[in-house]
Amino acid sequence: MKTTLQRAAAAVIFTLGCNSTPAPGAPAPAPVTPTVDAGAVTPRSTEITPTPVTAIPGHELIPQDRSPKEPPRLMPAETLIRSYIALFGGLSPQALQVRLRGATSDNLFDTWGDYLSALGVPDYSVDIPRAPQTNALMLAAFERIGVALCERAVQNDLRGAVALGDRVLFRFELPADARALTDEEFATRFDLLHRRVLGYPAALAPDSRAPRFRALYQGAVARHADAGTRSFNGPEAGWASVCEGLVRHPEFHLY
Amino acid sequence: MDTRRRTFLKVLGGASAAGLASQPLFRAFADPPVASDEFFVLIHANGGWDVTLSLDPRNERRGLIEPGSTDTIDTAPIRRWRDAPLDSDSSTFEIIRPAGSSLRLGPAIGDLGDMPDRLTVINGLAMNTVSHPDGTFFAATGRHLAGGKPVAASIDTMLANEFGRTSLLPTVSVGYPSTFVGEDLDARVSPLLVGSVDTLSKMLNRSNVNTTAADRQAVTALLTEESRDLAARSWYRDELEGFGLQLEALPRMLSPDVQQVFNATALAAAQPTLFPTGRRFQARAGVNCAFAVEAMKRNLVRCVSFSSASHDTHNNNYRSQPLIQQELFDTIAALVRALDAAPHPTRTGRRLGDHTHILVVSDFCRTPQINLTLGRDHYPNGSALVISPKFVGNTSFGRADDDQLLPASAGMFADGDRPVAPPDLLATFVSAFGVNPRRYLRDGDVIRSLLRA
Repeated sequence: MKTTLQRAAAAVIFTLGCNSTPAPGAPAPAPVTPTVDAGAVTPRSTEITPTPVTAIPGHELIPQDRSPKEPPRLMPAETLIRSYIALFGGLSPQALQVRLRGATSDNLFDTWGDYLSALGVPDYSVDIPRAPQTNALMLAAFERIGVALCERAVQNDLRGAVALGDRVLFRFELPADARALTDEEFATRFDLLHRRVLGYPAALAPDSRAPRFRALYQGAVARHADAGTRSFNGPEAGWASVCEGLVRHPEFHLY
Repeated sequence: MDTRRRTFLKVLGGASAAGLASQPLFRAFADPPVASDEFFVLIHANGGWDVTLSLDPRNERRGLIEPGSTDTIDTAPIRRWRDAPLDSDSSTFEIIRPAGSSLRLGPAIGDLGDMPDRLTVINGLAMNTVSHPDGTFFAATGRHLAGGKPVAASIDTMLANEFGRTSLLPTVSVGYPSTFVGEDLDARVSPLLVGSVDTLSKMLNRSNVNTTAADRQAVTALLTEESRDLAARSWYRDELEGFGLQLEALPRMLSPDVQQVFNATALAAAQPTLFPTGRRFQARAGVNCAFAVEAMKRNLVRCVSFSSASHDTHNNNYRSQPLIQQELFDTIAALVRALDAAPHPTRTGRRLGDHTHILVVSDFCRTPQINLTLGRDHYPNGSALVISPKFVGNTSFGRADDDQLLPASAGMFADGDRPVAPPDLLATFVSAFGVNPRRYLRDGDVIRSLLRA
């Protein structure tokens, strides 16, 4: 019973509170102007146009400093190994190791464990921190690993009819008639690799980069013109060299 | 007035320079230049050796001491073992006193007994621990572990930081207790820790099945140019310039001559005296010593540090303790001879032996008494061995007492009359090359009497 009475009282109070009809004879309230623009389209009086920094008064002689404020740092070895794995097939470390070692005894790769100390992986059990910068032996390890990754990728991608989507790295076609690539054809393919490995278009790199890699490619093609006992023909050796140049590049290891 | 102002500015400038030089960044430039053509071999006799058979020989039953005897030791392979009576049915050994020397050595000293003039023996080292890790790092860093962690740089890191910053390989550490702890250490001298020198060989191996050395060198040349260009465009150039310099050094690293240094087979061919047949325990020590000689001959490395086969003989395996030591000392003697025969890479007419300094330490020593399983356990005493042209040879310093083999007073140190301890040895070792020990060591006095004038 007590609860029923409470409910009835609450309903009366609610009904009174919701009744917004002004009492008869009361003055109408003055219209309120919103203080903020609630979405109405109003013309802007002036338009701001881009201005070079030197045109700003007081900045005529102040150069704009675009230099980075941190020195380049070495990529942690674990990140480096993850990058290798992601770029070259997305396998597990063990599976990638098996692929890199290959079925033949061509001595391209040993085991990840053999390279860990040279790559600068820390050993906290004896308080050896991660290597903070490169050393000659580390670069030798980069080369050893880079050669294995790129040569296996060439063997996988550029031999036989592998669908583009199934390729590890070289997701482009080579001329069917084995003719030499034009500069433009090379640039397109190089840009693809550059974007994939270094993460940005080759056009944004220093101007000298593309011609350098073009010369590297052509040099390898010329050296392998008569492959002889080597298993790589000219284009294969050329693309292997370009790939090595990218995965051993300072921009790949430093950030 | 003008003169006084100039004088004031000079004083101000001098004070500023002194202030800057006291900062870590500038300390390297402020330090006096030190010779950079010294080489170092640091050896850790793993597991705690029994000094009563070699460096601090005991052949009498006295107090706790039970000397090694024919009851507990396989004496047949020990070349310098000469029986001395112990009791009715067993014999101990005669102490070796090399001709013209005041040193007293045990039979396990092996071929090192032939070169007493080169030996500086430290006995009665106060190790203050019977824990393998603690003793190991105390001997190498001069500090006990704190919370199970090393708290100071190891001796090879100290020396590499002083002398090896520009070396291709400042320190190669093959299982040595190397640590990289401290504020003033150059990042380049972080020890290269490897399980064996063969591991390095794998990194330098190259396959020519698909591509050639010329192909790889073309890539390296391109990357060197790229590094230079990027450095020229950068505000912070050191890393990129360093990258370029290391790339330039890569062809040298990969040259067949250098690759031989990391190949055990090639090392055996180059230094056959370090690979005698029949080594049961210290074959790897031979590889490491051969690597040291060949790498130093080519000026590739500043410090080589390694651990030997284990001397940890608690049980019946104690019978091999003197053989383990004899093989290690034989290897070190062969190393000394090989260094004496090798030309110095940068000093014309000098031998490597004139500029290579060897320090041998262990975790601690073994108990003076034989335990119930016929072995010896851990004991907080120790001995060390220095073979260095900077040290007075034919010398023994410090002592362990006659009854208990515990460290006894070695004289008056800055903190009083006490036994010698690892920090003293390490401080003396680094100061022999003009290095201020306080840069690296919290404790330890320099023992001037051990150093040549």
